[in-house]
Amino acid sequence: MSWRAALWVLPALLPVATILLAGLGSALLQSLGLMPLVGAPELTIEAYRMNTGDLATSAALSLAIATAATLIGVVVGVTTALTAVTGRRFALWAGTLTVPVPHLIGAATMGLLLADSGLLARLFGLSEGGWPALVGGRWWIAVVLEYAWKESAFIALVVAAVLATRVAAYDDTAAVLGASRRARLRLVTFPLIRPAVVAAATISFTYTLGSYEVALLLGRVYPEPLPVLAIRLFTSVELATRPQAAAAAVVTAVLALLAVAGALMMLRRSAVWR
Amino acid sequence: MIAALARTTIGRAVRAVLVLWFLLPLVPILLWAFANRWPFPDLLPQQWGLDGVRSGLDAGAPNAFVVSAALGLAVAAIATPAGALAARALASGRLPLPRVIEAVLFAPLILPAFAVALGLDVLVLRTGVPSPLAVVAVLSVAAIPYTTYLMRVAFGAYDKGFEEEARTLGASRATVLVRVHIPLLAPALSGAAFLAFLVGWTDYVVTLLIGGGRVVSVPILVASFAAGTGNSSVVAALSMAAVIPPLILLTVVARTGRST
Repeated sequence: MSWRAALWVLPALLPVATILLAGLGSALLQSLGLMPLVGAPELTIEAYRMNTGDLATSAALSLAIATAATLIGVVVGVTTALTAVTGRRFALWAGTLTVPVPHLIGAATMGLLLADSGLLARLFGLSEGGWPALVGGRWWIAVVLEYAWKESAFIALVVAAVLATRVAAYDDTAAVLGASRRARLRLVTFPLIRPAVVAAATISFTYTLGSYEVALLLGRVYPEPLPVLAIRLFTSVELATRPQAAAAAVVTAVLALLAVAGALMMLRRSAVWR
Repeated sequence: MIAALARTTIGRAVRAVLVLWFLLPLVPILLWAFANRWPFPDLLPQQWGLDGVRSGLDAGAPNAFVVSAALGLAVAAIATPAGALAARALASGRLPLPRVIEAVLFAPLILPAFAVALGLDVLVLRTGVPSPLAVVAVLSVAAIPYTTYLMRVAFGAYDKGFEEEARTLGASRATVLVRVHIPLLAPALSGAAFLAFLVGWTDYVVTLLIGGGRVVSVPILVASFAAGTGNSSVVAALSMAAVIPPLILLTVVARTGRST
């Protein structure tokens, strides 16, 4: 242990700890009625009780969108990373191009691609009524695809970095020792990239869970994902909805923490991590 | 199996689908940015032109660009050195409670930024902190996990031998820092700064909630057009302009990575 090392970590540690504690702490206090904009503070779970139905629906919807987007992101991302190992890096390069695209702009361009007057509808020559409701439809398809699009590139880059450093050498050794392609993928490649995939998927999942603008632009009015619900209540002219907005934010943060706990349990079971 | 992805027809088809998956969604903004008239169901615009670009410029795009660039640069200027120092401390292995410190430093990756911003909004109003400052603070915190991680990996691969050799040959501490340390870490530092810049450049929700309408960045401007209908060409022109500067930066960063 050294005090100098402790000192070096402070410029990062202090702002992170302060902002997170202040932000989430204030959200928690607001949701419990302890930080009212007007009137005396009073401990109450009213904000959670009044809105339980909406909160539950929104939580289920947010979890479903995040799960679907992350599953597609993992499959596409890992496949992209595997193609890059062979030296044909064009797909990975194409994925890298999407990294600087803000989600808001991703949502805008997905809308122009997938809406019923979008580029694909024009391409397939389907007139109004013939094109499925991808944008604003029942299944949140455009929303899921936008997240999956950006997440798959992120996951591909993370996994490709791991593959480049360690896995290629092990894969060669296993091949020399006579392991079949299928056996190598199952016994060498997948176990080695597993921690990176789980970590990248968890970050993607929690990001999607807490993301606002994509669902706002490409989703439907009701039901709302948690962040959309929270920010609508938060920016409402009625000040009484502020605690409910904070409650939705707290629920989102708790779900994100639960997802991370689940991911850590998955990693503990993985042999490589130990 | 990996080799199979390279050689076979299936492998080729998989790669083609992947390239399409990543690039196809970018095509609409490329076309719409230069479309003056593009009625449905025409496959291509009826009339090409720069109406979208002009409307964007009239709507305050130059100002929004200055704001976004300032946000990105401020976040990079704060989060890169902070992350580098933290990474050095983590790499030294002499930190008390390293697991706890790592958990705190990486927590912004998983905790929803909107929830933090929503909670902070009231505090910012009550304490009278200027909102642009508060936005930069929250976004720097959001960027610190990325810079710390990248620098942590770089320090892991960093060979202390170069530093010791220079010292043995009589170089001062300052010379070692400028001539050995920073050049060796330059690729990682520029990569970290780029990611931190992106956090500031691409953010929407933190700027929206804490900026309180006073910080009009490019995403805020794009959102104000995207919410309505009939603005496709403005949205596309602004979007293109928002994506091109970081892409140029990305190429520069990739160059630094290769040349050193």
